Amino acid sequence: MPRTTKRSSGPDSQADAIEELYTRGVTDGLPVVPPTLTRVERAIEASGRPGDDLIALVPPNYGRATVEKIAVNAVMAGCRPEYLPVVLAGVQAMCEEAFDLHGVSATTNFSSPLFIINGPIRKRLDVNCGVGVFGPGWRANATIGRALRLIAVNLGGARPGVISMSTMGHPGRYTYCIGEYEEENPWEPLHVEHGYTPSDSTVAAFAGDAPQGIYDHRSRTAKELLTTIARSLQVVWHHKATALGDTLVVLSPEHARTIAGDGWSKKDIQRFFWELCQKPVKDLLPGKDGGEGLPEHVLAKIPSPETDETLIPKFRAAGHLKVLVAGGTAGRFSAVIPGWTFPNGSNLVIKKIHSRD
Amino acid sequence: MPKDDRYLDPTDSVAVPRKTAPRPPTLDGKVVTLLDISKAKGDHLLDRIEELLRERVKPKAILRRKKPTFARPAPDDLRQQILKESHVVIEGLAD
Repeated sequence: MPRTTKRSSGPDSQADAIEELYTRGVTDGLPVVPPTLTRVERAIEASGRPGDDLIALVPPNYGRATVEKIAVNAVMAGCRPEYLPVVLAGVQAMCEEAFDLHGVSATTNFSSPLFIINGPIRKRLDVNCGVGVFGPGWRANATIGRALRLIAVNLGGARPGVISMSTMGHPGRYTYCIGEYEEENPWEPLHVEHGYTPSDSTVAAFAGDAPQGIYDHRSRTAKELLTTIARSLQVVWHHKATALGDTLVVLSPEHARTIAGDGWSKKDIQRFFWELCQKPVKDLLPGKDGGEGLPEHVLAKIPSPETDETLIPKFRAAGHLKVLVAGGTAGRFSAVIPGWTFPNGSNLVIKKIHSRD
Repeated sequence: MPKDDRYLDPTDSVAVPRKTAPRPPTLDGKVVTLLDISKAKGDHLLDRIEELLRERVKPKAILRRKKPTFARPAPDDLRQQILKESHVVIEGLAD
C-alpha cells in the first residue's frame, strides 16, 4: 500500500523544524519533537499494525486517523514507541459515537478528553497512578495525553478559536492522562466494573473539566467523609444544575480506605451521592439565589413551584457517578471532575489496549 | 539531505478543506430557514431575526426548524430537508 502521508517540503539542514512546525499551526504552543521518518517508522513498528490501517475518523472534521498519522502525532508529543498501542486505543475511545468528540471539541464549555489507563500496562509503561497524579513528571502520562490532544487538533480540526470555542479551556487541554491506582483500590477498578478482566489493559476517555479539589482531613467514618464529598458535588457546574450525567469522583487512597473500612461498596457510594445531591423544586427556581435554575419546560409542568417540595436529583442516575482511586498515599484529598454531560452529551467510553507483549 | 532532516505531516493532507457557500446578493425571493439548535433562549434571537427579515426584505418564505439537541450534529434527514427546501440558513448558535 502506498504511504498516505506526504513528506513536508520541510526545513533545509539549517532551518529549525521545531519553529517551522509551530508556524504551521500543528502544535499546542509547546515545542514538539520533529516527526522524522525514522522516529515515525519506529513508532509504527511498535504498534504492531501496518501504517495505513485506519483506526478512526476524528470528529468534527473527520480526518483519517491511520496508524501512521497517529504515530506522527505521538512522536511530536514525545511518546516512546511502546506507548503507541495506548494512543491507538485512546483514539478509538474518543472517536466512538457515545463520546461525542464533535461536541466536546466545539463546545464553549471547559471540557477536554481525560484518558484513564487501567490494567498491567500501567506498570510496563510507568504510568503514574499515585503522587501528583494529575501533575507533571511522568513521560507516559504527559505524552500520551498530549498525543491524543494533538490528534484531536491535527486530524479532528479542534484548533482553538477556529473550531474549539471553549471560553476558558483548562490546563488539561495540553495533556490529561492518569492511571488508576488499582493496588490502592479496595473495590473493582474502572475497567473491571465495565466488563473487562483484571489482566486486560484499557484506556477510558472521559470529557472533563479541570479537577476540583475536596479537602477532608477530619472525617473518620465513611458516612462523614462521603457527606463532605456529596455536599461538594452539589456545586458542580453551579449549585442549581440538574440532569447531569457522567461525572468522576477520584478518591485518594486514604479516603478510599476510610470508606471501604466501613464496608461500603462502590454502588453504596454512588447511591449515597445521588441521594444527597437532590434539592426541592422550590430551591431550584431561577431568580432565587442566582438567575440559574430549572429550565422553563420543566417549570411549566409544576403548578406551584415556589412551594413545591419535590426532590429533583442533580445527577440523572447513580451510575453516572464514576468512582476511581488515584493519587498519593499520603493526604486526605479527593477530586471531582465535572463532565460534559448534557442528556445527549458525552459518555465515558473504554477501549481495550492491544499491545504485542 | 540526511533522511532525518525531513519530517512527516501530522494533518490529514487528503482531507478537502471546506469552503462556505457563496453569499446571495439579496434575501428577496429566497426561502430562509431559521435553525434553532435547542440552546436556551435561541428562539428569542430567532424570533427577532424573523421580525427583522419580514420588515426589511421580502423572502419567499421563512421556515423554522429545530435540532433535537445542541450537543450533537443535526441528524442527516434534517440536513437533507433544509438543503432541499431552502436557499439560506441562519442558525442560532451558542448561548
